[in-house]
Amino acid sequence: MVKIVKSTVLEAPVEAVWEVLRDFNGHDRWHPAVADSQIERGQPFDRVGCVRRFHLADGSELREQLLTLSDMDMAFSYCLLDTPVPLLNYVAHVRLTPVTDGDLTFWEWQSRFDTPAGEEAALAAMVGEGIYETGFAAVRRHMGLAARAADA
Amino acid sequence: MARVFVSSVIDAPAAKVWERVRDFNGLPRWHPRIRDSRIENGEPSDRIGCVRDFHLQNGDRIREKLLGLSDYDMFCTYAILESPMPLTNYVANLRLTPVTDGERTFAEWTAEFDCEPEVAEDLVNGIGTNVFQGGFDALKRHFGSR
Repeated sequence: MVKIVKSTVLEAPVEAVWEVLRDFNGHDRWHPAVADSQIERGQPFDRVGCVRRFHLADGSELREQLLTLSDMDMAFSYCLLDTPVPLLNYVAHVRLTPVTDGDLTFWEWQSRFDTPAGEEAALAAMVGEGIYETGFAAVRRHMGLAARAADA
Repeated sequence: MARVFVSSVIDAPAAKVWERVRDFNGLPRWHPRIRDSRIENGEPSDRIGCVRDFHLQNGDRIREKLLGLSDYDMFCTYAILESPMPLTNYVANLRLTPVTDGERTFAEWTAEFDCEPEVAEDLVNGIGTNVFQGGFDALKRHFGSR
């Protein structure tokens, strides 16, 4: 079992960040890895249990199911149903928390998954850096926020 | 049920901040509003169930009991046993989380308690500003900020 935890602080109020992230079908508008996305069976994107089917830039198709969505906790979780990459039993959690002494947002993105033996490090880097850290930088750009020095 | 929530970002690794705040008897060393503190019955300050008996700078005396402490999740939970404040069932939690894209710490301090409705706002503001934010400000001063 591999566990990934990535977090950052965005220079924006938590409500504004949540508006972007709570749309389970909206990642193709900000994440550079996602080419297109749709919710299956015409369901609303905030219906727990809905499935997003999306494609990466290389054409590969993934399906993920919304397991939890909470406007009160500003959190959601989801799992992978189908993927060409060997991420098994993948469940991810996203949570936003206000930083009250600066009107900022603490954003934590974590997951657990199994992989074939020997592929742990490569897949951990793909998820942690390729998806989560890239996603942090992408939401900063999407919201017009200053990039962190490391991302510039 | 009244609720207080205060959070901040401290410019130091979570392990360093935790080292400074984990001692349940250590408030006078890092929190400017606390004058002195002792653990009752000579118990170790990380023994769950121990009671700290301390004074604020204004002389108020408070006794609090340690309910939970985790070096793994970096949190501490405690309850007020005795205080001059008009509240009951006060339970607070101080928690640190690493910010992984820099050597920083997300710090959260929450409390829940019961009180008469007319004093709730004053209590929430007083605890939130003087105790929780005051503590975070002291940590930010200690560790500096970029």
